[in-house]
Amino acid sequence: MSAGSEAGPRAPGTGAGSPAGPDARSRRQLALMLAPYLAGLVGLVLLPALVTLALAFTHYDLVRPPAWAGFDNFTALVEDPIFRIALTNTVVFAVVAVPLRVLLALGLALLLHRRTPGAGTARAAALLPTAVPEIAYGLLWLWLLNPLYGPINQVLRVGGENGLTALGRTPPQWLTDPTDARAAIILVSLFTMGETFVVLLAARRALPRDVYEMAAIEDATGWDVFRRITLPLMAPVLALLALRDAIASLHFTFVSAFVVTDGGPPPYATTYLSLFVYQTGFEYLRYGYAAAATLVMMVLTLAAVLVQWRLVRRYRRFYPR
Amino acid sequence: MSEAGLVLDGVSAAYRTETVLHEVDLAVARGELLVVLGPSGAGKSTVLRVAAGLEPVTAGRVRIAGRDVTDQRPGLRNVSMVFQSYALFPHLTVAENIAFGLEVRDTPHRVARERARAAAETVGCAGLLDRRPGQLSGGERQRVALARALVREPDVFLLDEPLSNLDLALRVEMRAELRALHDRLGATMVHVTHDQTEALVLADRIAVLRDGRIEQVGTPEEIWRTPATVFVARFVGSPAMNLLPAGGPLQPAGDPPALPVEAQIGFRPEAVNLDTGHGAPAIVDRIEVVGEDAYVYLTLEGGKPVVARVPTTRRPDRGAAVRVGVRWTDTHVFDATSGRRLAP
Amino acid sequence: MRGRNRGPSPLPERAARLWRSLGAAFVILVFVPPLLLLVSGSLTEPGLPPSPTPQLVPDPVSTAGYERALDLGGLLRASLNSVLVAVVAVPLSVLVASLAGFALARLAPRTTAVVVAASLVALMVPPTALLVPRFAIFRFLGLTDTLVPLIAPALLGTSPLYVLVYYLAFRALPADLYDACQVEDLSPVRTWWQVALPLVRPVTAGLTALTFILTWSNFLDPLIYVYDRDLFTLPLALRSLSLLDPTNFPVFLAGAVIATLPALGVFVLAQRRFLHDHSDPRE
Repeated sequence: MSAGSEAGPRAPGTGAGSPAGPDARSRRQLALMLAPYLAGLVGLVLLPALVTLALAFTHYDLVRPPAWAGFDNFTALVEDPIFRIALTNTVVFAVVAVPLRVLLALGLALLLHRRTPGAGTARAAALLPTAVPEIAYGLLWLWLLNPLYGPINQVLRVGGENGLTALGRTPPQWLTDPTDARAAIILVSLFTMGETFVVLLAARRALPRDVYEMAAIEDATGWDVFRRITLPLMAPVLALLALRDAIASLHFTFVSAFVVTDGGPPPYATTYLSLFVYQTGFEYLRYGYAAAATLVMMVLTLAAVLVQWRLVRRYRRFYPR
Repeated sequence: MSEAGLVLDGVSAAYRTETVLHEVDLAVARGELLVVLGPSGAGKSTVLRVAAGLEPVTAGRVRIAGRDVTDQRPGLRNVSMVFQSYALFPHLTVAENIAFGLEVRDTPHRVARERARAAAETVGCAGLLDRRPGQLSGGERQRVALARALVREPDVFLLDEPLSNLDLALRVEMRAELRALHDRLGATMVHVTHDQTEALVLADRIAVLRDGRIEQVGTPEEIWRTPATVFVARFVGSPAMNLLPAGGPLQPAGDPPALPVEAQIGFRPEAVNLDTGHGAPAIVDRIEVVGEDAYVYLTLEGGKPVVARVPTTRRPDRGAAVRVGVRWTDTHVFDATSGRRLAP
Repeated sequence: MRGRNRGPSPLPERAARLWRSLGAAFVILVFVPPLLLLVSGSLTEPGLPPSPTPQLVPDPVSTAGYERALDLGGLLRASLNSVLVAVVAVPLSVLVASLAGFALARLAPRTTAVVVAASLVALMVPPTALLVPRFAIFRFLGLTDTLVPLIAPALLGTSPLYVLVYYLAFRALPADLYDACQVEDLSPVRTWWQVALPLVRPVTAGLTALTFILTWSNFLDPLIYVYDRDLFTLPLALRSLSLLDPTNFPVFLAGAVIATLPALGVFVLAQRRFLHDHSDPRE
C-alpha cells in the first residue's frame, strides 16, 4: 500500500545470509518457545475442528459412546424447519449487517482521522461499546429495547398519546415482533464495530499525504478523491475486514440473541446458527446433530473465504504489490 | 524584469505556532527557472506549499500570472507540483496518473489520454504508459511525475527536491534533462533543492533561503562571485569559503580596500596559494585527495583553520610548514557582526 | 490538518474543519448516551412502575439496585472468580503470544509459513463452531466444571491474531539487531527477553489490554463449562440477573455496570496507544 516507496519490505529477522537462521541449539530453543502456542493451536482449534467432522456423522449424547449415524444428521438438518430458519437468519444478518457495519466504520474513520476539535473524543466514544462485556451490553439493550420500560420507546412516545408515537403509530415492538426484533439485533451489532473502525482509522492514516495534496492541486472534488483515491487504496483492507466481519457475524449474534431476544419472538425470528448449535448441543444434548450444524457453519465460512479470495485475487491483477 | 509568473509579496507562514517564513518577497519572471536553495529546515518547501495553496499564509499576498490567488484553493491556482516522493497514485497506471488532473476536471477521456501520451513523450516515458508506479524505477517515476505536472500546461511548475531520491549518476542526467525541458517549454519553474551544485547548474536565478528569510537572490554567477552574506558565501561552494578576521594573521597581497574596524575576510579554497613562499605561516593538518584535486587543511598561527585546494601533484606533506598566500582581488569582505557584504 | 495558526486562513479548510467537528459531535451524541443510560438506569429505584417520560437523572437516585445485584447474583464471589481467571490467563496469554511471535520471526521461513498459515485458518473458524468439539475434549479430560477451560485459551495467545501481531512486530525490528545479538552469542530466549521485548513495549501494552478485555468479558466458555454457582464468573452471574422481571431493570443494569467498569478502565488506559494523533513533522 505504500505509494512508490523504494524500500522493499524489510527482510525477515533471520538476516539475508542465513536462511535457516541460528545454530541447532538456538533452533531447539526457538522450537520450545513456539511449542505452547502450537499445542494450543492444535488442541484448541485444529483438533476440535477435526472432532467436529467426526462427530457430525454420529449420534452422541455425552452419556453413551458416539454411534455411527452416516448422513442421518445431515438429512435431518435439511428437513429441520428450525435449522432452515436459523440458516436463513444467519445469512440475512450477514448480508445486511456486515456491509452496514463496515460502511459505518469506514464513514467514521474518514470523518475522524484528522485532528479536529472533538475528533479524539469521538474516536474514543465510537470504540466504547466494543469494550463493554458482551453480556453487560446485552443486558443494557434488553432494557433499552423493552417496549414499556425501555428509554428508546419512551423517547419515541414523546408527544404522542395512549402509548403511540407523535405520528399516531405504535412504537416498534422490538422484542415481540419478528421484523422489529431482527432490526433490533442488527442495530445492537452496529454499535460494536469498534475493531473494524480502529483498523480503518490506521489504514486511512497510513495513506500517503502528498497524494492527497496532489489531488488538491488538481482540484479534485471530495467525491473524486474518495472514488479515485481513498476507496481503491483502502479496498484491500476493506475486503479483509468485510471477510473477518462476515465470519465474526456467525458468532457475535449469539449473545444478543441469547440474552436480548432469546431466539424469539416466535417462530424463531432471531435464532441464528450459533444459537441453534448451542441449544441443540447443550440444551437438547444432541451433540452429533449440533456438530453437523457446526460443519455447515464452517462450510459457510469457507465459502465466504473463497469468495473473498477470488475478489482479492482479481483486484491484485489491477494492483500489483 | 519581464512579466511576473509568480510573486510572493511579504509572505509569512507558520507551522503550528512557529513562524517558518518571515515576510518573504520573491518574484519569478515568466519563463524563468528559479531555484530556491537552502539547508534543511530553512522553509524551502514551505515556499512551494504556500505558492500551491497547500499551506495558508499568515500575512502577505501570492500572485500567479498577474492574478491574486492568496484566497484561492489549490485547485484553482493553475499550478502543478512535483513532490519529493513523486506522490504517484499507486493504484493507477502511468497513463491514468498523468491524465488524472485532466479527468477530474472533466476533460473528455479520449482527449485526456491523447494529451497524457503527448506529455509522456515529451519527458521520454511513453513506453511506460500501461505500467504501475510499483513497477517503475526511481528515474522512471520521476519522469512520470514530470509528465503529470506538464500535461495541464500550468502557469507555474513547482518542483520540491525532485532529484533528491535519485542516485548520483541519475541525478546528474535528470538535472540536464530538466534544464533542457525547461528551455524547450519556456515554462515558469520554481525548483527547491539543498544541493548547491544542482542550483548552480540548473538555475536562471537562485534564491538562497535561511531560517525562513531570503538571504540573496541572484544569478548563479552573482551568488558565486558576490555572495551577499557570510551565510551565502559559506553555503555555496565546497569545501566552504575560508573566513578570517580582517586584522588577523593572514594579510592578502595587493591593495587593501578601506576596511572598517570589525570586518571579516573570506576567500575560496581555490584562491589560496601555497607556493608563493611568503604569506602567513601554517602547519598542514591533513590532506584529502579527490582525484586531480587535493584539499589541504591547515592551521594558521593562533589556531585559525584554512582550507586550500591545490593540484594533487603539488600537495605538501602532512605536518609540513607552509606559507598561505591570498590576493585581495580574490577576497570578499564582510561585516563581522551583521555578516553582510562590504566589499568589493 | 495543520491549520492551527491564527491569522487569516485563505483556504476553505476552515469550513471543512467545522463540518468535521460537527460530525464528531454527532458521533459522540450517538455513541455515548447508551452508556450514560446504563449508569442512570442502574441508579433508579427498583420495582417502580415505568415512568411515562424518559429520565436521564433518576428520581430518586438509589443504590438499591447495586445492593440487590450483589445479593441476588452472588456477584462478589463471581468477581473473585473472574479476577482469578484474568490474573492467570492474561499474563500467560501474553507470554505465549510473545514467545511464539518471536520464534516465528526467527525460525526458518518455511516453518514460519506453515504456522502462519495454520494461524490464519484458525482465525477463520468462528468460536461458536468449536463449542461442541471443545466441550467433548474437555469432558473427556474431566476438566468441565473447573476454571481450566476458561484459562486454556491463553495457550492460543487468546487469539492467533495476537501471535501474528507479535510476529509482525518482531519481524519489523532491524535484521542487524538480531545479527548483533547472534554475534554476542545471546541465546534466543535472552534475545527475546533483553532486546526484542523491550523494543515492542507498545505492542505488549496494547495486546495486554485487549487480552484482558476479552478474557474478562468471556461469556460463552463459562456458559458451557461451568455449572457450579461457586465457580461462576461475572458474565455468567450476570446472566442469571437477565432472567429478572423488567421492573427490576436497575438490578441487572447495576450488575452490568459492575462488570463493565474494569474492562472500560483498561480500555481508557490503553486507548491513548492506538488512537493518539500523529503529529506530522515537515521539512
